[in-house]
Amino acid sequence: MASAQLTDEELFSQLKRLGFTPGPVTENTRPVYLKKLKKLREEQQQRGSRVLKSRASTAVSTAVSIAAPRPSRHDVTQLSAIRKPGRKSSVLGFSSDESDAETPLKRKGLAKHRRITPCHQQLAGPTDKQNIAGTTLNLFSSPLDHHQSVHESSRHYDESGDEGEEEPESPHSVNGREVTGLNKTAGEYSDSDEDGVLSGDRERNLPEPRRSRTAAPISPSDNRDSQVKGKNSSPNPPGFRKMVRAEDEEVNGEEVDPFGGSQRYARKSIYVSLAEQRGAKAGKNHFDSEDGAARSNSGARFSVGLRPRFSGYSSPAQTHKGNHSNHSPPPNHAYSPTAPKKKLSVPEDELLLQFRREEPASSGSFSAHYLSMFLLTTACLFFLLLGLMYLRMRGSVEADGVSKYPAGSTFTCFFNASKVNFKLSLMLEMCFLMSRLLGEDPHVPVTDVSEISQLESTHPRMPFTCRLRKAFVTVGSKVVLVAAAAAMVWGVVRYLKFRWRRQEEETRQMYDMVERIIDVLRTHGEACQENQDLLPYLPIPHVRDSLVLPQDRKKMKKIWGRAVCFLSANESRIRTETQRIGGADFLVWRWIQPSLSCDKANPMPSKVWQGQAFPLDRRNSPPNSLTPCLKIRNMFDPVMEVGENWDLAIHEAILEKCSDNDGIVHIAVDKNSREGCVYVKCLTAEHSGKAFKALHGSWFDGKLVTVKYLRLDRYHQRFPQAQACSTPLKASSLRLSSTPSQQRASSAS
Amino acid sequence: MSSTSQKHKDFVAEPMGEKPVMALAGIGEVLGKRLEEKGFDKAYVVLGQFLVLKKDEELFRDWLKDTCGANAKQQGDCYGCLKEWCDAFL
Repeated sequence: MASAQLTDEELFSQLKRLGFTPGPVTENTRPVYLKKLKKLREEQQQRGSRVLKSRASTAVSTAVSIAAPRPSRHDVTQLSAIRKPGRKSSVLGFSSDESDAETPLKRKGLAKHRRITPCHQQLAGPTDKQNIAGTTLNLFSSPLDHHQSVHESSRHYDESGDEGEEEPESPHSVNGREVTGLNKTAGEYSDSDEDGVLSGDRERNLPEPRRSRTAAPISPSDNRDSQVKGKNSSPNPPGFRKMVRAEDEEVNGEEVDPFGGSQRYARKSIYVSLAEQRGAKAGKNHFDSEDGAARSNSGARFSVGLRPRFSGYSSPAQTHKGNHSNHSPPPNHAYSPTAPKKKLSVPEDELLLQFRREEPASSGSFSAHYLSMFLLTTACLFFLLLGLMYLRMRGSVEADGVSKYPAGSTFTCFFNASKVNFKLSLMLEMCFLMSRLLGEDPHVPVTDVSEISQLESTHPRMPFTCRLRKAFVTVGSKVVLVAAAAAMVWGVVRYLKFRWRRQEEETRQMYDMVERIIDVLRTHGEACQENQDLLPYLPIPHVRDSLVLPQDRKKMKKIWGRAVCFLSANESRIRTETQRIGGADFLVWRWIQPSLSCDKANPMPSKVWQGQAFPLDRRNSPPNSLTPCLKIRNMFDPVMEVGENWDLAIHEAILEKCSDNDGIVHIAVDKNSREGCVYVKCLTAEHSGKAFKALHGSWFDGKLVTVKYLRLDRYHQRFPQAQACSTPLKASSLRLSSTPSQQRASSAS
Repeated sequence: MSSTSQKHKDFVAEPMGEKPVMALAGIGEVLGKRLEEKGFDKAYVVLGQFLVLKKDEELFRDWLKDTCGANAKQQGDCYGCLKEWCDAFL
């Protein structure tokens, strides 16, 4: 097949036959396509050589290569197309820290930890990996994904297996690190997947009792296979091909399981052996070892390469060798060749038995569970015992557990006097009875026999329920006391906080008012200077009435009073006088500071838009608006902001600037951001594009504003309340005082 | 966000018109000369080739390597540039 003599049409058809749809073969593209053809042929031959010795090798490989690669190719290109825009469009205007178009994809790939995306990335190069068939459909659907990816990557693994396991085939793997990760995972997945695949295939090939056994693992693989079938017309041959390939590797008549299957069987046979030995050895020991085996298994699962893993399997198997000689050969064989179908039936039964036996013997996680339960129960018992002991001890030293036996006259009349005295003196001296002797006064120690009037038992024998009740009562009362104390403290704290906050609020309002008064007076003063007709002073009530809305007057009375006092005490530029206006005496304020130019330079520049810094053209803005959400930077400095409602002022400013744009539905000011970020959501991308053009590069409040696009779902993640917003916001027309505009803004939004 | 060169940004920002092939990102003087010798004297001709190869990355890179001996970075730059241009304008 000398490629030099191929005509264009032949080249075209050959490429098509290998499953690759080429573009037109022209004189320019010819060499490229020739190279491609060569590469495809090489791959095919590699695959073919594996199955040379087997029966249906070439047919299978060609069948497989025909069936799968074409959809896979398309899927791959689709996939790469899906992936690329996310990455490339992050060039212009896309907020990278927020959007992270690639990282969710990556993360999704990662979250599945099964890196199907890097799998595809790598496979984007050599496109005829037939394992990608059907994957893109299931790319982001979870439960079967594991199996899917396993399935796909297992096939990949097959092909790359010959090249020395971890070597990626494609000359330029797009992401080097992902490739190695992939190979790792490919290795691990091919393992478990081969189980599934082969058992699935075997099921098809051998409709036998096997089905019952592998019911559980089969069903996912069934689903997967059925899905794959939809895409790939011949899932069977690959599995079969694998089987025969495995046979190729090592001829060992003993091992009858397919390679992957034996892996799992190996694992389970370990458990079987353990189960058998469970009777023999001590339980705890065994659980640990089984645990260890389980853990080593699970750890081994994620180790690199099949062979080392398999040795990991075999070592615990060997450690548990004993009376399961007939089971251990399966784990001990590294590569189990696949015998032809007929040979499988007999040892299958053995394995079936194995499986049936070890299904009740649960997996290693059981021992861990058991251990934790055991610990838990011991802890509970311990505490219970402690409680009981406590009760008993408490009962013993409780003062009110005393039963006082009046020992006065009744005691003496039982015995004759000498005996009484003897007894009592004995008791007094030795106190060997578990009782104390009390005189009339319980606290005074008894010294003389005649003073004895009562016996107090120091170790009262109370019934258990009595003790329990007493214990509950005491404990309960103490708990209630503590709770009450805590509640009180908490209540006090809350009240104090509330008070403090209210005071703060009032003070702030007062200062606000003071400032407004000063403003008014100053403007009036300046106006007076220009216009000599006006009176140079303003009556206080007039000022109040002009600043405070009628409905607020009652509320603000206190604040107003404080403001007035503050002004009279602290403000030197305003003088309080009494003047007669219109026949009535008023307290007036006179502004006595001559107008200074420096005073005009207000330390607080009003929030206005101050023009555009640079014209927006294709170079510094994306050509089309990408999403309906925007992130605006550098609109404010959170450290410098004063006042309570500056964020609403910013809302206003944005709405004003985009007053022609009626598509803004949600604005959120991030008060804590150092960069002064404001998030805006619009109805459509078009509206956001308009807003972008209006805002990007403008000067606001002395700062240069920049705008970026934000992904919609990230925006919703951050501001879930924005999902419901759909009414466009309007700027409020009045911007005189903050209160009315606040109200209006709140009512508008 | 992968960093793109100024050349890339300039190219992608507007329709290429009659820009020379050296305006493509990754294609400098030397490579541009080689391409011109082969007949690809304008950027749109290279675009044509890109489209004929169905915008496939691997093929285009191979072609670029064969035609003017571009290294991997240059190939990547050129491919990215053209791809983005196509996304924006095609």
